Formats: sequence, C-alpha cells, structure tokens
Amino acid sequence: MSTLKDGRMAPHESPAAGRRSVGVDVPKSDGEKLVRGRPVFTDDVLPSGCLFAKVLRSPHAHARIVALDASRALADPEVVAVLWHPDVPQIPHTRAGQSHPEPSPWDTTILPTKARFVGDRVAVVAAETLAAAERALELIDVEYEVLPAIHDPAAALDADAPMIHEVPDPRGIAKGGESNLAAMIDVQIGDVDTALAACDHVIERTYVLPRVQASHIEPHVSVSWIDEDDRLVVRTSTQVPFHLRRILARILETSESRIRVIKPRVGGGFGDKQEMVCEDLVAVLTLRTGRPVRLEFTREEELIAARFRHPQTITMTTGVMNDGTLVANRMVVLADTGAYGSHALTVQANTGQKVLPLYPLKHIHYHVDSVYTNNPISGAFRGYGAPQGFFALESQMDEVAAVIGMDPLELRRKNHIRLGDVDPVSARLNEGKEGLARTVNSSSLEECIRRGAEAIGWGATPAPTHPRFKRGLGVGVAMQGSGIAGVDWAAATVKLNEDGSVNLLVGATDIGQGSDTVLSQICAEELGVPYEKIIILSSDTDLTPFDVGAYASSTTYVSGGAVAKAAADLKNQLLTIMAEHWQVNLEDVRFVDGVCMGPRDLSLDMGGVAHTALYTAKVQPAATASHMSDDSPPPFSAQFADVEVDTETGQVFVRRFVSACDFGTVIHPKLAEGQVDGAVAQGLGYALCEEVLVDDEGRVRNPNFLDYKIFTAMDMPLMEVIMLETEEPSGPYGVKAAGEVVINGPAPAVVNAIAAATGVRIRHIPATPERVWRAMHEC
Amino acid sequence: MKLTLSLNGHSTELVAAPGARLLDVLRDAGCTSVKRGCETGDCGACCVLLDGEPVNSCVVPAAFAADAIVTTLEGLNDDPLMRRLQDCFLEAGAVQCGYCTPGLLLVAWQRLREGGELTEYDVRHAMSGNLCRCTGYAKPVRAVLDAWEAMP
Amino acid sequence: MRNLNAYLFATSPRDAVRLLHTTAGRGCYLAGATDLMLERRADLDFVVDLRRAGLDDVVVQDDGALRIGACVTLNRLESDPLVREFAGGAVADAAAACGNRPVRSTATLGGNICSALPSADMVPVLLALDAVAHAFDGESTHDIPLDEFFTGPRRTVLDGRLLTGLTLPAPQPGLVCLSRKLRRTAEDISLVQAAVAVARGGNGLGYVGIALGAVAPTPMRALAAEDILLRADPEEFEIAVAAAAESAADASDPIDDHRASAEYRRAMVEVLTRRLLREALGIDPTAEDPVHGGLR
Repeated sequence: MSTLKDGRMAPHESPAAGRRSVGVDVPKSDGEKLVRGRPVFTDDVLPSGCLFAKVLRSPHAHARIVALDASRALADPEVVAVLWHPDVPQIPHTRAGQSHPEPSPWDTTILPTKARFVGDRVAVVAAETLAAAERALELIDVEYEVLPAIHDPAAALDADAPMIHEVPDPRGIAKGGESNLAAMIDVQIGDVDTALAACDHVIERTYVLPRVQASHIEPHVSVSWIDEDDRLVVRTSTQVPFHLRRILARILETSESRIRVIKPRVGGGFGDKQEMVCEDLVAVLTLRTGRPVRLEFTREEELIAARFRHPQTITMTTGVMNDGTLVANRMVVLADTGAYGSHALTVQANTGQKVLPLYPLKHIHYHVDSVYTNNPISGAFRGYGAPQGFFALESQMDEVAAVIGMDPLELRRKNHIRLGDVDPVSARLNEGKEGLARTVNSSSLEECIRRGAEAIGWGATPAPTHPRFKRGLGVGVAMQGSGIAGVDWAAATVKLNEDGSVNLLVGATDIGQGSDTVLSQICAEELGVPYEKIIILSSDTDLTPFDVGAYASSTTYVSGGAVAKAAADLKNQLLTIMAEHWQVNLEDVRFVDGVCMGPRDLSLDMGGVAHTALYTAKVQPAATASHMSDDSPPPFSAQFADVEVDTETGQVFVRRFVSACDFGTVIHPKLAEGQVDGAVAQGLGYALCEEVLVDDEGRVRNPNFLDYKIFTAMDMPLMEVIMLETEEPSGPYGVKAAGEVVINGPAPAVVNAIAAATGVRIRHIPATPERVWRAMHEC
Repeated sequence: MKLTLSLNGHSTELVAAPGARLLDVLRDAGCTSVKRGCETGDCGACCVLLDGEPVNSCVVPAAFAADAIVTTLEGLNDDPLMRRLQDCFLEAGAVQCGYCTPGLLLVAWQRLREGGELTEYDVRHAMSGNLCRCTGYAKPVRAVLDAWEAMP
Repeated sequence: MRNLNAYLFATSPRDAVRLLHTTAGRGCYLAGATDLMLERRADLDFVVDLRRAGLDDVVVQDDGALRIGACVTLNRLESDPLVREFAGGAVADAAAACGNRPVRSTATLGGNICSALPSADMVPVLLALDAVAHAFDGESTHDIPLDEFFTGPRRTVLDGRLLTGLTLPAPQPGLVCLSRKLRRTAEDISLVQAAVAVARGGNGLGYVGIALGAVAPTPMRALAAEDILLRADPEEFEIAVAAAAESAADASDPIDDHRASAEYRRAMVEVLTRRLLREALGIDPTAEDPVHGGLR
C-alpha cells in the first residue's frame, strides 16, 4: 500500500527523513555550461573539413523517382557528392527509434525509389559550404512519374485508393500490406453492445485532433566522420543513441562494432528525436566521401519533414446510468500515420491503453485503423497517443455529465481508477499486442482532484474581467505509464575514483529534461555521497552501457532503477573490500552517510575507502547493473483551466491553470515542476493555436513560427503546480514518471472551460478564434 | 565584404558574403551561444546585442555589424549583472535544454540595464520574442524577477 | 539576398538613388532588412543600405505636423517622446504592437510601408491620420497621400523612387486615435487590423479616419464609413457607429488563407471598427486590447 504524503506546493518541503540528494533541488548537472553558452550542442563544434549536407525534397505528394541528373550540380567544384536511391543500400527498415524488433513497419529505405509526401527525400547533397549545397539543390534535374495521391485518411482504405506502399510482404504492415492500412487494433473487453443496450443513456460524439509538431528549438542536426580507426562516428541530437547504432549497422551493411554514436547536449526532443531523421544521411555521405558531414534541418524542414503528433478522428460511445455509473465505452480511432508507418501501431495502442483505464469499466471496445496517406509523417511526440485519447475521453466525460445533469467532477470521482484496482486494458494491449496486467499500487488521484479543484475554486467561477467576456472553469484528468512494461530496460555503470568521486555512465539520454541530474541524485543517495561527487556521462555507445533512450516516460523509473542497483552493487563491493582490509566480519561493516563504519571505532570516508581499494586491495570498485520492470505504474494528474472567451471574436484567454500531480516520489522538485510547466505550455498550444495545415496537394501551408503558433511568455496563464507525492513500490525511491502525463489534461480542460463559459462545445481543436466564433454563431 | 567591428569588446575584422546573415558570421567566428532556431526572426534563439539593442541575428545582414558594437553572451559572461542573472536562472530551475537560454539571458540583461520598474508583465513582454518549448516560461520569468529584486 | 554581389551604403538620399540606378544588375533599397532577410530573394544582385543616408529624423514642424524619416526604427517610434505625444501616442502604440522587441530594434517605418504587405502593421494608423508619403527621385520630392501609395500586394507607386519619410498632419484638437490588431496569440501577424481617428468639430465630427489592414489587397481606408460618421448627428452617434462598422465590413475585401477565412475577417472588421469607434467617441470603453494569458 502506498502512503499519501503531505501535499506540497512549491517551494518544496524538506525531503524524506535521512535523504540528502533525493527530493532536493540540487544544481542541475549541466546548468553552468548551458547558462554560459558553452559549445555543447551538436552543431557547436564541427570537425575540420566538414561538408554541409542538404536534402532535395519531393515537390510531389506521390511520385516515382524515375531519373536524376546531377551533372549541373556537380559541375560546381564546391559540390562534392549527390546521392539518390541507386547510390545507397535499399534495405527496408523503419526510422522509428524503438527496441528490437521494432513494432513499426519496415517500410522505408535511406533514399526511396518513390516519393510519398511533399518533402520526401529524393536526393542528398554534400558540398564545401552550406550555400553551395543549397545552390546544388536547384541544379539537380529529376524526372518524376507523378502518381495519384491521398490526403484524406477517411479515403485511404477505399477500394480505388492508390497504394502508397506496394512492397511485397513488408514486415510489420497490417494484413501483409494488402491495403493502405498501416496498423490495426481491435480489443474487446466484456460485451459493449449488450451493455450499451442496457444503459440509461448512450452518448456518442466524434472528436477531431490536429497534426501538431514538437517544435524543439534546436532543430534535428547530425555530424558524422570517420575516426582514426576507420570507424564511423555520428554525433547527433537524438533521444535514442543505441537504437540508432543498431539500425545504422543493419542498413549500412556493417556491424555495431564499426559505429559509434555520441549524444551531446540536446536542445529539446519531445519524441521528435526518437527517430532517425538525419543520421543515416550524414552516414552515407561520410562513407561515400570519406569526409565529415553535417546536416541540420531548417525550421521549414522541421515543419514539413520531421515528425508530427498523429492526427486522429475519434468516435466515442459511452453508456451511463442515471446515477452516473459509467458502464461501457467504445472508442473508434482513425489515425493518419502519413507517408510512413513510424509509430503507426504503438502510438495508437497508447491512445487506448493509456487512456481507457482511467475509468476501468467492465465493457470496453477499442478499435484503431492507422492508415497511410501522402501526408507528412506522423511519429512520436510527448504523450504518444494519449493526448488525443484524453482529449476525447475527458471531453466526453463533460458531455456525459451534461446529459445526466451531474457535476463533471462528481462524475469523474464516482468512476475513476483507484488504488488496488486492476487496469482492465493493459493485459490486452501493450505496444499493440497482448501485455502484462497492471494493478494500481500507488495513487493520490482522488487527492489531486480535490486539491486541484480547491485551488482553481471549482464551483465559484470568478467574474469576467470585461462585460464582453464569458468565463468558465474546466477539468482534464489523466494518467500515463512509467516506461513500457516488459520492454524498456536500461543499464548503468558506476566506478569509484581516489577522491571518493564516482563516474556514473548511463545510456539514458538527457535531452534537457534533466535526467543526468536526477540519475546522479539517485546514485549519490544510494552511495551516501554528496551529489557533487557524481560525474555523469550520457550517452556514448562506446563508453556508456545500453539504454533504450529517452521515451515513454521511462528514464527516472527504469534507468533510475539501473542506477540504484549499480550503486548498491558498488557499495557491497566496498563493504567486502573494507571487511577484508579491517579483517572483520562483513556484517559488521556498513555505510553511514557515505562513511564506512566497522566495529569499535573503525571508520573511513569514501576517499579513504577508494584509496584502500585502489592501492591496497588493488581492485577497481565498479559495477554495471541492468533494470527492467514488468510494471508500468501510472502517474496521475488532475488539471484545471480558468478561461475567458471573447464572445465577439472567439478569442480564448487562459487566465489560470492548476496542475495537481502524482509522480510518485519527486526526486528533484524544480525539475519536476519544470516538466509540468512545459507540458502545460505545449498542451495549451494543442488546445488553442497549434496546427500544421496541409492543403489539398499535401503541402504544408504554415512551415514557420510566424504561422505555426506556439505559446509565448505573454500567452501563459498564471500557473500553480501541486505535487501530491506517493511511494510507488516498484520504483527506485518510490518514483513514477513525470514527463508525459501532464500534457494530456490541458486540451480537454480548456475546451471544457470554454463549454462551461459559453455553452459551446468545441470537438475539433485547436480552438482557434475562428473555430470558437463559428461554433458560437451556429448556436 | 570586410567588416570592422567591436565583437565582445575586441576590435575584430570579419569577412562575410554581401548577403550573409549576422547569425552565421557570428557562429563561424566562434560565438556558438548564438543559436539557430527558426531563421525567420520569430524565436529569439539567435538574439545578440547590436549597439546595445537586442536583435535577432538571423534576420540581420552581417553588414549591419560594420563599425558597430556586437555583444553575444560570450562577451557578457564576466559581467556581474549577467552572472547574477545566470545564477538566478540556475537557482530558479529556469534551464532545461538550455538552447533558448542565451537569447533569454541577453534580452533579460538588456531589459534590466534599461532600468525602471519591472513587473512580471514587463518581463513577459520583454521575453515575448523568445520561444522556449521546455519551461512554459514560468521559471525563466521568476529568475529575471529574482535578479531584478537583487539589484542594488 | 542569397546571391548578392554587392552591399552598398548610401550616405544621403541623393546617393541612394544614384547607387540604385547606376549599379549594374538588379538592386533594391534596404532599411531594417527584416522582411528582405526573410524573403531570401535569389534575384537581387545588390542592395543599397539606407541606414546612413540621414533618414532617421523625428521632427514636429511649426504647424504641429509630425515628420518621421523612413529609417526610424519601430523601437524608436515606440519610445520617442515626440511620437508618444502625437495623437495620443497612437503611432507609438501601433509600433509597439509590431513583431517582437528584437525585430523592432531594426525594422523601420519605411520598410514596413514599402514592403507593402496587406497586413503591414503600421499602415492603418497612418492612413487614419491622413499621412503623406515623400518620394524622392534624385532631383525632387513628391508628396503622395498614403492612401494612394499602395497599388497591390507588395506593390507601390514608388517605381524606383526613394521613400524618404512621412508627414502626419497636425491632429485636430481633441483628436482620439486608436488601433487594434486581432491576433491568434499575443505575438502574431494581424488577422485583421483596424484604426480609427476622430475629432469633434462643428455640430458633429470634424475629422474621421477609418483604416483597415489584412482585409484587402492593400491596407485601405473605409471612406464610406467615414462619411456616415461625418454626417452623423451627435445624438445619433451610437447608430452611426453601428452603420459605419457595417459599412467598413462591406468595404473590406478579405481573402481565405491559412490564417483565417474571408468570412471571419469581414465579421471581425465590423467588430473591431465598432469597438474602436465606441471607445474613441466615449460611448463605452469596449475597445481595450484584450490581454492574452494570465497577467494584466
């Protein structure tokens, strides 16, 4: 059983008794170099003689690449190489950075023979300067055989729809690739039809979710070179260095031993860097030219050819009794995976698996068609399918509450999952296949709802600030997971130095979220040494042990577990060394606050222990440990929005936003709050202004920050974060995840608040001024 | 074209193509705190001070640096006010990935140097051209206010 | 800008015109460069930088008119005391609503006008205040009412002449001038912009200027709407305002694009114009710019 600790508002109260690093706002391990602006990102240091790469992109949504003549481009002495599909291995693979065997279909090659969206790779150029590479793009003559294209996912499965992938038996495509169905899921629990027939009310609504982009401020960028041992080195802004090495080895027809992937500081990822977007291209150019090559996306390329949250249309049919008892729920999803199937199955698996258990009904039906179109490629983005699903579910709860005349919060209180409940979905659906059963062993969700409601003033909507405004409050409750149960695993290595400092080597990827700091805290706590004694390195496939990478909210929970185990192992080694050294019984030796204590008054600090090990015992105390969890305990959040709507223009202003969260134990309060702050900003953008617009020909109409609107400092509401910690039994120090759950609540909280303010229900986000204005005028 | 300028307090000569962007010229000159983010003047990651005014160097011709004073974060790392701001950023938890941080610091530094009253609204207004995708701006805004409150 | 062979500095307006017309290849003037750098035009061989041509004066003339040089930056417009004091600070406020602080450091009044975008943020307020543009051909200067300056999207009457600056006639006593832009987020290009300037005189209004942005191929004046108000009796202002706002919406000629539909834009012309006029005439203070986000 978990124990609910005192609720905490920033600033953090003192950490659990006896802890010196865990629960403390220690200095961020990479903070100093970042505030000084030191050259720590991929593009900040380029090898000498580096070539600059650019990608020639298809102007057509669907076209065979018949012929290519680069002679005019190559006439420029500054242009060194132009490669197209005949020049590179044509080994099918997925660019999704997932564990082997990747659940995403192997439906792509490095340079395809057929362009499948406007912006698809046609050729890649390397030149002495960026300007020369850009010029070269205009001098390459390509002959296309233009094919009919599909942009409407609803038409993708029509009998006469053009086939987007026609490879015979492509690995991983649904039904052997016989149609444009990239992935399909159908899970029935109980008997939904019968249950719905017996309900007092059946409510069916359809929700439409936009294509949005992660918009990390550092674009995708990779540099590669051949080192002095003739090995290929790729330094890249990635979340998945080990997956990259494995995929590169296979598609370049070499082996992992010939490749080294280095991840320096990363300027944000949010899932978009869980994908091989530049790495294979710089690699083939380096292998072809023997020279270092750098490729960086422009913002325009990010908004055309990086990855996007899957656009979905979700129809939800909910059966409820007059007293508010939810009985059955059917969720039918049509997802647009775009031109390739990166995460086509697993994102959509999450839309059901992470979302439906919030109300653990006996009768659940979940169906997904994830279809190919000639649109930009969908993929991973923070929340990974859950934001779409929670928008539908948490909008639907308010619609249900309105139908039965119940307070929306009351309806949720009556039905939400509780401590000790078995999540009905996870055993049937995990990564798109059967999974492991999940029981809730820690939860402060009830308290999150209570405290959040209190903070926003539920039931007492503040007066509008202007007569023409209407004001309303809304809620969005959510859960997520902590890593992928039975799939995600990580390793960590610790090594003691003379002065008692410890090298901590992790494959886990700090992409700005602060995992280096948090993992160092866990290591310091376990060893009882000051946090400052930990020297962390992440990630370098030559130096650090394996980790699946930064995704699925796994790092603190899974990689943290590996760190805790490795540190415990190291501590045991030191106890053995000291017992032998002091010639006392092992059970009489222990560590107290980082000091080794023996019987009588024997004691030695960590530096002394290290000296003893290295120079008397002559051993290197070091340990590597691996960790995997068969559980994926859900973090919870209850988020509340206070919005005003300008009734004449349809503009929506978010005035206040409260997030009450259960992340298990919080290792670093400020970083955890930072995860909430950032997720809320992204979630509010999803609710109100972010949308990548693709026209009838498949062209992105707003590939820049002028028209792809993300929130500025001026748009943000006053924010409050309430941490209601629990102790998760399966997590190191009781942790669960923090990074994703809180991106799920803002969009439904905002539309629910708009509905509360105006009576108008927005089922198609973002709720732009024009959409809200139209909805109000249709009333 | 040849440009003579004061770059971070040092008289410097740079060579740039006539149509070059100040952003690229500065990065080539080793000022890697100047980040490439959007290339359309919308994100503020490439912010530098040109004759004391904040500019987005991606939409500024390199030629604007001719006979001008250009300051990047590298040139202010020894400045006491900048150090205080940096410390406040670290203390407040205002740094996540750190990619937008140099731009935020420069805009904040320039605003603090302007003097006068500073409300939270003023800070947000001053930062409205700097996009940050990690922090939701809450802690960076707090950090600037902390630095302002600590000013003599 | 990508393929420039030469970057030339003009030392005077005369020098600028000479450089543009005597340098080989295709050239253009450059002031703050923020638009030019975005466009990355491949067809330009050279640019003539105007920032050292002495076009950055802000002067109040003896007759009370405000003369602003073409190279005055938007940041300076925002803070210059002469501009702040003119017409209740309407021009300064419009400048403050353009782009973001770093962009305003370099972007200029002349650049905003000469780029001739339908959504040019500075133009509606200048139109409402009856601004006159000064075009210099190397020999003499021609005064062009700003209303006649734009011929289409990105097109003006300049034809190689240099815009040296603008003059805003002295405001009539008691003139109130307001402008607003409708935005998707706090930092945005205009979806719709409106500006009004009104002054009492005689038996009703002595001066009315109503101008719109982003709702027609060029920024425009809503002359019929102005007329309705000019002929209105003070007792009927409220009705006249409603009629004028509708008239402005009728006169607008917006397009559907990725930012908004024509239908929405036209409806918002009515809303913004009505609100601004009601506030300017003291009917009620409804025009107040909505604050985005959580702070006031």
